[in-house]
Amino acid sequence: MLAVQLLINGVLLGGTYVLIAQSLNLIFGVMRVVNLAHGSFIVMAGLFTFWLSARTGLSPLIVLPIVFVVSFVVGGLLQPVLIEPLMNQGRRAELLSLMVTFGLDYVLVQIALHVWGADYVSLPYLQSTWTFGAITLSKALLVVGLFAVGIVALLYFGLNYTSFGKSLLAASQSPVGAACCGINVRRVRLFAFALGVALASSAGTLLIMILPMAAESADNLTILAFVIVALGGLGEYAGVTIAALLLGLAQSLAGYFFGGDVANVLPFVILIAVMLLWPQGLRRAA
Amino acid sequence: MIGMWSRSKKGHIPMPHTNRIKVGYLVTAVAFLAVAISIPAFGSEYTAQLATDILSFVALGYSWNLISGFAGYISFGQVSFFGLGAYTTAVLVNHFDIPWYVAVCCGGIVTAIVAAIFGPIMLRLRGILFALGMLGLARILTVVFSDWDYAGGAAGTTLPPELNPNAVYIGMALTALCAFAVNAYFARSGLGLDAMSVREDEDAAGALGVPTTRVKVITFILSAVFPGLVGGLIAWNRSYLDPASAFDPTLDLQTIVFTLFGGIGTVWGPLIGTSVLMLIGEQLLIHFSSLKLALYGAVVIATVLMFPGGLVSLLNRFGLLKRKLILAPPELPLGNAPVAIDTGLDASDSLLEVRDLSVRFGGLLALDNVSFKLRRGETLSIIGANGAGKTTLFNAITGFVQPTGGEILFRGSTVSALPVIDRVHLGMARTFQIPRLLSELSVWENVVLAARHGRQKHQPVQHAAWVLRTVGLDQMWLEPVARLTPGRQRELELARVLALQPDLVFLDEVMAGMTKEEQERVRSIIRRMSDFGVVGIVCVEHVIAAIADLSDRMLVLDFGRKIADSKPTEVLNDPVVIKAYLGEVSDA
Repeated sequence: MLAVQLLINGVLLGGTYVLIAQSLNLIFGVMRVVNLAHGSFIVMAGLFTFWLSARTGLSPLIVLPIVFVVSFVVGGLLQPVLIEPLMNQGRRAELLSLMVTFGLDYVLVQIALHVWGADYVSLPYLQSTWTFGAITLSKALLVVGLFAVGIVALLYFGLNYTSFGKSLLAASQSPVGAACCGINVRRVRLFAFALGVALASSAGTLLIMILPMAAESADNLTILAFVIVALGGLGEYAGVTIAALLLGLAQSLAGYFFGGDVANVLPFVILIAVMLLWPQGLRRAA
Repeated sequence: MIGMWSRSKKGHIPMPHTNRIKVGYLVTAVAFLAVAISIPAFGSEYTAQLATDILSFVALGYSWNLISGFAGYISFGQVSFFGLGAYTTAVLVNHFDIPWYVAVCCGGIVTAIVAAIFGPIMLRLRGILFALGMLGLARILTVVFSDWDYAGGAAGTTLPPELNPNAVYIGMALTALCAFAVNAYFARSGLGLDAMSVREDEDAAGALGVPTTRVKVITFILSAVFPGLVGGLIAWNRSYLDPASAFDPTLDLQTIVFTLFGGIGTVWGPLIGTSVLMLIGEQLLIHFSSLKLALYGAVVIATVLMFPGGLVSLLNRFGLLKRKLILAPPELPLGNAPVAIDTGLDASDSLLEVRDLSVRFGGLLALDNVSFKLRRGETLSIIGANGAGKTTLFNAITGFVQPTGGEILFRGSTVSALPVIDRVHLGMARTFQIPRLLSELSVWENVVLAARHGRQKHQPVQHAAWVLRTVGLDQMWLEPVARLTPGRQRELELARVLALQPDLVFLDEVMAGMTKEEQERVRSIIRRMSDFGVVGIVCVEHVIAAIADLSDRMLVLDFGRKIADSKPTEVLNDPVVIKAYLGEVSDA
């Protein structure tokens, strides 16, 4: 029974990781930009949710759409200034955008520190549990996991079954080809970045209900997202989903058997292990 | 400005080396030492501490500049080596009573060893993967040292208090000076050119015989040693060490900000950037210290977006601190014709033999049991429609693609399992379908790079000069590659391959998209290839008219299979070949 419970917890945690990773992946897929400020968007949204919820008593699930809209606008404002100018730099764009988002990460984390302080906070929400026989489930984890999976499902649907989603996929496969088919690639990039930021921020709002978070968690979350995406294959939506679920599972098992420290460092260990054992696989993924 | 950070395609023509430059470095070093020594002698304690801090970032900046500026491998985790050096020093001082300055040097040695072990693994990753892998390494080390009680654990450890801060200061000045010297060496030596070739195009560098892995690892080790020394000095200076401060990622941020702001990949960038930002920036920010890191983040963004070459690129516009061409003599020498290499083969012996070569990409059989022989002195051209497998055949023979079956013999011995670089050193060299020149460097550096790794490596400068003159590029030897016309770029690529002095060259569509005159220039180079010691040519070409009269034999590929192999006149009249090119007429 313990095994079943760990499995369910792992998959639910993995569900939130899918959201974290797919938002990074979406931006990478369309722009070939690895957004190093990814974690700081997650953390800012989480801390904002905590702050707003504590002040107004609003349920975090009501804050979620607010965060989504606000962060979508923020992402939409940042992209033309920070990312778009690098898009005509060819081969150099990848590393230049790495440096720009590296700088952005520090700006955002420092703002978060300034506004909300350095303490780890967590939003108490749905603290009770459901018990089915020998299995005890945290309600918060269940709600958060289901919401995350729901958002990702919407993303899948949007990408595969709407005309704009299809043009987004087209632009990520071949920007030039998409442009030749009359797709406004520039607008697609703007939208993809804004959407990626909005999805990451939504993940932050959800995560604050199950994980304590502080400004300094930002880089760990970025690494977590990147490890999942690297394992699943940059730009591969299905592979990333599987990798996220597996990592969620691995982390909840590691947390149970070895404690939180090991669970936290696990993504890095996996990253290095993958490098040692399957460098070819990782390189192909990139 | 050079490298991926320069924005303008035009660039300035860099100056060749003169003795004046050597004197310049010497004067700078002496002036640096004089200022460095006078600060503790005459300045206050505060100035001495500020100077120590500045020097520590100068050393860190120059280290980062080696791996990320010269070799182009952006690292977000050089602080790993800083922390390792600091911990080595702390452990040696606390547990073994070793004098601090010996302990600091041991820290440098330990980081060098760690870098030598991890380098070959980490540097297999490229671009973003390397950058984040290094970030991950720093995080793992933080956790490891937090749990390692012997070294102090999470709470940290104290070191005996330093009674004479000037000693640390002098150690830091020496470290910074050495780091600067290594950068200055990189900016003017063949090793530095090799590192830059890795940055510009690693695969193309490998095809020119550059031992890319060795170059990367050496650069990585050098970029690890100085942070190791700085870490030890700072641990001793502060008398306290814990994992959070030893592996503090903001140290990397500051290092990167300072170097980027000064000018990445330049000799003066890290010094100028660190001095300016720390003398002006840190003083201005004294009252806003909580926003310091946010502003540094903003400086990174602004620098990358507005002037990716940093302050040095701004100074370049006024003709100051321009990059000097590597290994360039003041004037192009006449050069020596190369001594012929004895291949030990008679005219009838086969230079290259391909047996049953197959390459499969997933479900696609790109090459299907292709066999052929090339005798010494022969020119073979390979033709076929698009997708016939011509470039795949090239890639398989030269080692860029792993064949799924078959064997390749060069001068009688099998090369099927050898990496690209070994095949180059045996005497096989190739061009690329789209020229892969080191586009931010000069004509001269492209050729001398190849000469350094070819058969005339004992006299690369003379040989490169001779090749440039013989090919006819001597008038533009100082030009940046980006200024050449596409036709000239093809000629440069040929010159670069010939500078290796190979036995056998593979030319991948060297005349595609050229005007008649440009084709004629390339054809005349192909005709004179034996002057360069070449004893066999294999070329892939679409422009059949331009290649037919130069070829002894023609081999035709169709959907990965060989369908003809004989004299050009016969091949071009072969009905099977005509059908493959023009398609079936209608009776099917």
